[in-house]
Amino acid sequence: MNSLHAATPATTKRRTTLTLPSDSLAAAERIARARKVNLSTVIAEVIEEGLRSRRATERSGQVLKSYRQAFSRFTDAEMLLLDGVVMDERAD
Amino acid sequence: MVDPAFGPFLFDTSAESWLARSQDPAVRRWFEKYLKLHALNISAITVLERTRGYALLLARVAGDRRAQIALARQAYLDGLGTVWPVDIAVALVAAELMALLPHAPTPPKRVHSMAESRQERLVRWRFDIFIAATALVAALPLIHNNPEDFEAIRTAIEIAPERFPDLGPLHLIRTLRLAG
Repeated sequence: MNSLHAATPATTKRRTTLTLPSDSLAAAERIARARKVNLSTVIAEVIEEGLRSRRATERSGQVLKSYRQAFSRFTDAEMLLLDGVVMDERAD
Repeated sequence: MVDPAFGPFLFDTSAESWLARSQDPAVRRWFEKYLKLHALNISAITVLERTRGYALLLARVAGDRRAQIALARQAYLDGLGTVWPVDIAVALVAAELMALLPHAPTPPKRVHSMAESRQERLVRWRFDIFIAATALVAALPLIHNNPEDFEAIRTAIEIAPERFPDLGPLHLIRTLRLAG
C-alpha cells in the first residue's frame, strides 16, 4: 500500500490512500523522476487521461447508438429523402 | 485509409448517414475510432436536409411506422455533435460560389421511384454550396459522397482564389477512401 497525494487539474486537492499494482507504481515513479515532478502529479495526469478516454468512449457509444437508430429501418428510397439527395418524391 | 486522428472533419449529409449505416467492419471501426477522438462536425444545412427528410416521411405514414420515424428523428437530434451555423462568413463564401457556379454541374436525379425537378436540383446544389462554404470557413476537410457537386466547387475555388481571400483550398475526402 502506498500513500500519496492524488491531485486533480482543479484547484481543490484531497489526500487519499490508494493501493496500486507495484509495476504501475514503479513506472509512475520512473516518469516522475525523469520529469522532476512529484508522484502525485504523474498519477493525477494518468487518472485524468483515463477519465477523459472513458468519457470519450461513453460519448462515442451514445452517438453511435443514436446514429444507428436514426438511420436504421429505412429503405434506400427513403434514405434518398433523408439525405436530401432527392428533394421530394414523385412518380416516374 | 484516412487516419481519424487527422480530424476533425466536416461531414456532408449523405456521408454522415453512410457512415452510420455501413455494415463494413473496417468502416464501423473507423467511425468508432473517429468518434472517440472528435465530435461529429456537420453544417446546419445538413440538419435542415435531414429533418426535412424526416418530415416528408412522417407526413405520409401513420401508426407504428410514424412512431418509429419520430423515434429515429429524435435519435438523430440526440446524437448531434458540433453543428456549424450559416453565419455571415459562410453566407459571403456561399454567395461568391453561387455567383461563380449558378447552375448545378449535373442534371436532376431520377432514382428509384423518385425524380427531382430542375428547381429541386438547384436547391440541392445550393445546399451543397452552403456545406462546402462551411467547410471552407471552418477550415475542415469535407467528407462527402458526392464528387460531381463538390469537385466542381473545389475547382471553382482553385480557379478564382482571389474571391476567397485567406480561405481554401477546399479539401475533399470521399467516404470510400476513409477506411479502405
